[in-house]
Amino acid sequence: MTPMLALVSSDVTTAVVDGAAFSWLGWTLALPAISAVLCTLCALLKVPGKLPAMLTVASLGASFALVLQFYQQMPATPITIHLAEWMSFSWGPTDFHALQAPLALYIDRLTVFWMLFVTGLGTLIALYASEYMEADVKSGYARFFAGVSIFLFSMTALVMGGNLLLLYLGWEGVGLASYLLIGYYYTRPAAVAAAKKAFIVNRIGDLGLALGLFLTWRCYGTIEFSELFSRIASAPSNAPWDEALIPYLFMLGAFGKSAQIPLYVWLPDAMEGPTPVSALIHAATMVTAGVYLIARMYPIFLVQPDALVVVAWVGGSTALLAATIGMAQFDLKRVWAYSTISQLGYMFLGLGVGTTFGACYHTFTHAFFKALLFLTAGAVMHGFAGQLDLRHLSGLRRVPGFRLVSWLALLGCLWLAAIPFSAAYFSKDTILATALGSDRADFRFLGWMGLFTAGLTAYYTFRIWFRVFAGPVHFVPGNDSHDADHAHAKFHPHGPRWAIRLPLILIAIGAVLSGLPGYIETFAHKENWAQWMIAGSSAVEGAGLSHGGHAEHADHGHLVLGMDAHKAASLLSGILGAIGIGIAFWIHLARRSAADSIRRTIEHTPLIGWIPRAAERKWYVDEVYHAAFRMPLWMTAHVLHFIDKHIVDAGVVDGIGRAPASLGRVFRPLYGGALQSYAVTMAGGIGLILVWLVWNWVRGVH
Amino acid sequence: MLDMSSRLALLAPEMFLFGAAVVLSILGLSRSRSRRALVGPLAILSLVIAGVLSIVTFDLQKAESAGLLLPSLAMWLRPMVAFIAAGLMAISGDFVDQSLEASIAKSAAAFSPLRAVRGEFCAFALFSVTGVMLLATATDLIWLFLALELVSLPTYVMVAIARGDRPGLEAAVKYFFLGAMATGFLLYGFALLYGATGTMQLDDLRDIALAQLATGESSLLLVTGIVLSIVGLCFKITAVPMHFYAPDVYEGAPLPVTAFLSFIPKVAGFTALILLLSCIGLGTTGLPRSVVAVLWMMSLLTMTLGNIGALLQHSMKRTMAYSSIAHSGYMLVALVAGSHDAIDALLFYLFAYGVTTTATFGGLACIQRAGLDADRFEDLAGLRRTHPWATAMIALGALSFTGIPPLLGFFGKFWILVSAFEAGQVVLVGAVVLNSVVSAWYYLRFAATPIITEPAGRSSDVGQNTSRWPVAASIVFGCALVVLPVFVGPLMKSVQESTAAPVVVVETPLRQR
Repeated sequence: MTPMLALVSSDVTTAVVDGAAFSWLGWTLALPAISAVLCTLCALLKVPGKLPAMLTVASLGASFALVLQFYQQMPATPITIHLAEWMSFSWGPTDFHALQAPLALYIDRLTVFWMLFVTGLGTLIALYASEYMEADVKSGYARFFAGVSIFLFSMTALVMGGNLLLLYLGWEGVGLASYLLIGYYYTRPAAVAAAKKAFIVNRIGDLGLALGLFLTWRCYGTIEFSELFSRIASAPSNAPWDEALIPYLFMLGAFGKSAQIPLYVWLPDAMEGPTPVSALIHAATMVTAGVYLIARMYPIFLVQPDALVVVAWVGGSTALLAATIGMAQFDLKRVWAYSTISQLGYMFLGLGVGTTFGACYHTFTHAFFKALLFLTAGAVMHGFAGQLDLRHLSGLRRVPGFRLVSWLALLGCLWLAAIPFSAAYFSKDTILATALGSDRADFRFLGWMGLFTAGLTAYYTFRIWFRVFAGPVHFVPGNDSHDADHAHAKFHPHGPRWAIRLPLILIAIGAVLSGLPGYIETFAHKENWAQWMIAGSSAVEGAGLSHGGHAEHADHGHLVLGMDAHKAASLLSGILGAIGIGIAFWIHLARRSAADSIRRTIEHTPLIGWIPRAAERKWYVDEVYHAAFRMPLWMTAHVLHFIDKHIVDAGVVDGIGRAPASLGRVFRPLYGGALQSYAVTMAGGIGLILVWLVWNWVRGVH
Repeated sequence: MLDMSSRLALLAPEMFLFGAAVVLSILGLSRSRSRRALVGPLAILSLVIAGVLSIVTFDLQKAESAGLLLPSLAMWLRPMVAFIAAGLMAISGDFVDQSLEASIAKSAAAFSPLRAVRGEFCAFALFSVTGVMLLATATDLIWLFLALELVSLPTYVMVAIARGDRPGLEAAVKYFFLGAMATGFLLYGFALLYGATGTMQLDDLRDIALAQLATGESSLLLVTGIVLSIVGLCFKITAVPMHFYAPDVYEGAPLPVTAFLSFIPKVAGFTALILLLSCIGLGTTGLPRSVVAVLWMMSLLTMTLGNIGALLQHSMKRTMAYSSIAHSGYMLVALVAGSHDAIDALLFYLFAYGVTTTATFGGLACIQRAGLDADRFEDLAGLRRTHPWATAMIALGALSFTGIPPLLGFFGKFWILVSAFEAGQVVLVGAVVLNSVVSAWYYLRFAATPIITEPAGRSSDVGQNTSRWPVAASIVFGCALVVLPVFVGPLMKSVQESTAAPVVVVETPLRQR
């Protein structure tokens, strides 16, 4: 079936078709796994050269091609592809006495939508990394690509898995890959600490997902998506406590993986990993898993609309908080990290206010431009020996070899700032318009908050660009000298070669093209492609249940400032963005001294003097967590250790330890290792059993 | 009924193994050192061939016409035992006579047929495996008994000759005498069974026994016979009250033989238990209450005593002995559950246990101390640097023993728990879970010591095993621990097919709710 045909049947039925004809799609899952195994072998056999990179790029590229191929002939209805039997336990007659989890794929348009950018960007970023990581060819090159392959494999399982268990395994797998790759430079204590932090903070979220999975099975008797969605639709939603809890638990998982309040603290630290990892895992793909989870499980959320309110509030607040922190950071990658958190906040806001289309479309556009921004940052880092402090970099636009990087960074910045007619302009405004046009006052408030955040975003984005890429040429190289000559001779920044340039250009093209559906919608008044993709999936299927109005109906929602919400959101965010860029231009390019003097003025004003410092220190959230969670735990651990050592060990364990010894004296004839005593003991045991048997017999119990 | 030719056709793998054993015992006495060196690899090869043969030559129709209780049991059991035994053989084959061969190679000693035992050792190992495979096609009590003895007798010899030192001989003597006593109980039980039913044929025995139990006037003779047989088999599976020998014998035997002991006799014991208990309703009408009570008590005590005993050990082999006791306790839970599902779960658990055992022991066999085993936990310290592969496999094995998902051991345990839960044995389910938590303490020592602890001065006399076979086996089976869970669906299906019920005379619903 061609996509055109599928377009006609836009009213998607819930019928799930068996997709045995598409079982070749299983290779999308298998290829990264094979690549992971081969790369591990390369690491173990110490294969020199770039073979691991080629293997990874080839397998990921082939996966992408398969997804494209599937997209060409995508059926209109969701399909399940049964690959193999896996888990099948049953201990009773009903569904609640059985656990079925076959190795199956559940493919609807949401899946394809996600897989397109996951595998596509994965391929390009792996290609980029093949050059970026070349300094490590002798040490960790194969290990790095094994990690990337494991990540892609897990992400594929997460997105395409046909049941919650596969999704969970993929979820854990991406967590593992993230841990391995953040801690890639395992000799650096900061990297190890960041990896640990990411892993532990994610565990908290994962616990939520695991409990949600258990409760889903308990409430609906299945964890297979195809069954689950029809059961949610048919089951009466009288919401006993456990059913009501499910969306909140999934939410916790999503907040952990997608770095939302209160679990966002791991993501900025995760920038200790190599930059391609930051681009791939911590900006474009893995962190969107939370968005995917909620979009995938949207029917469950629709049964509990209160849960969506929480999602909206957490998303909106995270967007604002992360943007304020991002304004005060000096490390290039850290600013992008906070902007990632902030943008993810927008996506959750979108999910919360009911526009799954806006959220998923924003995920899509964000994946491209954020990958672009990280990769340009990586190119700078690569060329300037690890320098990322924007106080020590300036005017790179004029440094030979960095012209292309600078212009592509500008493109990324424009897209992040969501200037009118950029891709993010369409996607973000869908979210804001839905929020502003909502019937609920608190959603409208969140919409205004989002608009304000959009202004901040424009400011901090262009703060970076004007500081680093524009202005007079000035730079101080960082500490990591890739090449020996850097250490002695005068520092020459080296521009990137083709393996970095090509992915950058392709991703930039992707970023531009990702706006295309928005253009077509706005100017040709055709259906938005992204909307079409999302509408044909579980993410909107149940939307008719409670949330009547979505993006497409936003025009009929509340009027904002006398305009319809869409127009108002576009206009206001355009104006606020322009103001943000203007301020950034003024104090970071035109009169850089003004920035310092403003800062000094603020710092010397009594009431607000603490603000810049606190923002730079990330509002002391890490410190608060340290005091609120780590310290008590640490103290408890020490108290328990004390009790264990001096009371349990000294008293109980040693006491028990002595008890066998004293018992041993009594029974020594039996336990001395002598054959006869063993025989006697065994015979005694048998005698006891027989006596018991006969005694029961006499009592008449058979 | 007993069509001799179809019967013999069923036994092709056993006959092949027997032949191979004879050839190996002769080859081991060859004057040529290179020919003697072939003994170990050939033993592995013949086990693999036997495994393949048992798949290829199996003919369900012939099996059914031979009057087997579970006609397709052999389809799962024989290949499983043969392949895992090949791994165990890889661990132990080259171990025997290693120092003797080394000194012959250095011309420090002359070859003497009286001192060279590798050929005999391998032949005895193959005999023992033959015994297990024969069990799968047992039709009467005599056959069952002879097959069991064919499993046990060679193991006594193997313990004695593998190293030929004092602890080994002491262990062998203990093993032999206690084994003989247990066999006495077993035979007595069989005699009572014969007395109660008047037949030796297992299928007739089942019909008569089930009829007796169904009328409600079950005879004390029958139940006593069954219980005595169970107790006798408890020796093979190291279950309470016949478990006492295990720590001493496992510790006295050389490590590779310990690996063999902790798997092969256990499979034999559990297979015999499945066959015997099938005669009184296992998997069909359910076991009589008194038998369930006995098994329940045994299971609880076995797993608890095993795990508690393992906590306080310093010797790795002793720890493994107690661990093997504990695992028998878990497997007995399946027999208590008594459903058809439970038999499948038990057979799968045996498989998972065998793979895990081979992976772990193969890893542990990578080091030795001048002709002795490196048997203290301290000896593992620093293994991470010298044997990274073995370290990884020991860790995987330890985690699989504990039952950590997604390793193979988890699925074995999970299935048993599910079947026990289905049968309403909630207390035992709780006991297994608690015991698994306790067992983590000592299993994690296996996993952590090689990685975390740095070697102290006294372990400097720990040398390397010159044979590469153990680590190779360990890697193969260790990878299986990771890879097989992906195929757990097909594996479970093939287990279920292997116990697919033949024509059952007394047909009652499986699930009594």
